[in-house]
Amino acid sequence: MTPMNHVEAEELLGAYALDALTGDERQRLEEHFRSCDEHRDAAADLGGIVPQLALTVEDRDPSPALRRRIMDAVSAEPSQPVAVVPLLPSRPPSTMTGPRVGRRPRWVLRPVALAVAGALLLALAAGAVIGRLTGPNAATIAYTFQGDATRAPGAQARLVYFKDQQAAVVAATGLPRLASGQVYEMWLIKDGVPVDEGIGSSTDGQLAARMTGDVSQFQQFAITIEPGEQRLPTTTPILLGTLRSGG
Amino acid sequence: MWYAMSGDGPDLDGQMAAQLQRGDTAAIEALYDRYGRLALGLAYRILNDRGAAEDAVQEAFVAVWRNAAGFDASRGGLRNWLLSIVRNRAIDRLRGNAKARAEVQLDSTERAGGVPDPWAAVALDLERKQIREAFDELPDAQRRTLGLAYFAGLTHVEIAQQMQVPLGTVKGRMRIGLEKMRAFLRARGVTA
Repeated sequence: MTPMNHVEAEELLGAYALDALTGDERQRLEEHFRSCDEHRDAAADLGGIVPQLALTVEDRDPSPALRRRIMDAVSAEPSQPVAVVPLLPSRPPSTMTGPRVGRRPRWVLRPVALAVAGALLLALAAGAVIGRLTGPNAATIAYTFQGDATRAPGAQARLVYFKDQQAAVVAATGLPRLASGQVYEMWLIKDGVPVDEGIGSSTDGQLAARMTGDVSQFQQFAITIEPGEQRLPTTTPILLGTLRSGG
Repeated sequence: MWYAMSGDGPDLDGQMAAQLQRGDTAAIEALYDRYGRLALGLAYRILNDRGAAEDAVQEAFVAVWRNAAGFDASRGGLRNWLLSIVRNRAIDRLRGNAKARAEVQLDSTERAGGVPDPWAAVALDLERKQIREAFDELPDAQRRTLGLAYFAGLTHVEIAQQMQVPLGTVKGRMRIGLEKMRAFLRARGVTA
């Protein structure tokens, strides 16, 4: 990846704020932000204006059915009470001038018994228990994924899938720091099609998450850094691994 | 007194966010009452099709419900989050990425139910007036450039091709346009 110089970066700040860059340009600019607080802050500043463009439109009256459609759809979804489970004790925030991010890991959490998930996350963090749970016929399968050698060399994620509960927990550490407005986004991939499994942010590169569903039907797991929740990945994964037993 | 632009009625939105995170469906109705017409206006501005716009809005509200546990107010207000999802869903549809929607077409329209908080509604109207003025104050070329990026989801390269101007011109219009809007709003005490 060709480094981006200061002048080139300056020119692209508006397009970055508007999410109008190509994937490669975005990636190079975000790499530049790692060493340039001035441009990172300027991009965040411009990015604060962009959502306001939505307010320039004229209101439109919905059809009478839309409210009912939304409420019917919401009622069909299980409720999602907050259940953020810190994976590890928080470290003090970085002393660097950093982007505005969440104070602790936050992931979209799918319904699964909280007590079970909390205990399992502790087990993941301690690196224990998993060995006893896994095996060819075990109801639990653990995977370990390493971060991309270039984008996230220190990152590691553990995913434990509980077949009988059709649920999984994920714990990641050493993730790259987020720029302002960015989030980590988690994906399960089947036949090359990524499925959004939620977003989160963290100041210390640590995240914990839970998922429900039949994880075994997917072939890969990935984490990307996105400029907000995306329906499909817009950046190259910082972590990508194959889902197979015994990882 | 203006509401902070990113906070937009922090009490009401904050309360709704807390309700959502507790899994209270009443919060979705409150959110719809407050921002449903705006959300549909945004989706319609992007898609120019009522049915598709309503589908995008429905998807967005369901996404808010589904992902409420992950909402982090420190990264922006509830309104901005909702509208960003509306925009993303609408752009997806514009690009043909959305799933085929159910063929539900309704001819009649009426004002959404519910009684919005009067002061919040007034404050929102005033804020939107300022933002429209900031947008309208831009030279036409800058306004069109920002519009193509935000409402059409085009990249700077695509915009340069469409407007038949050099890429550097588009980059400059984007940056300068946003800077002018920011300066306009800050001068009026509205901060992003």
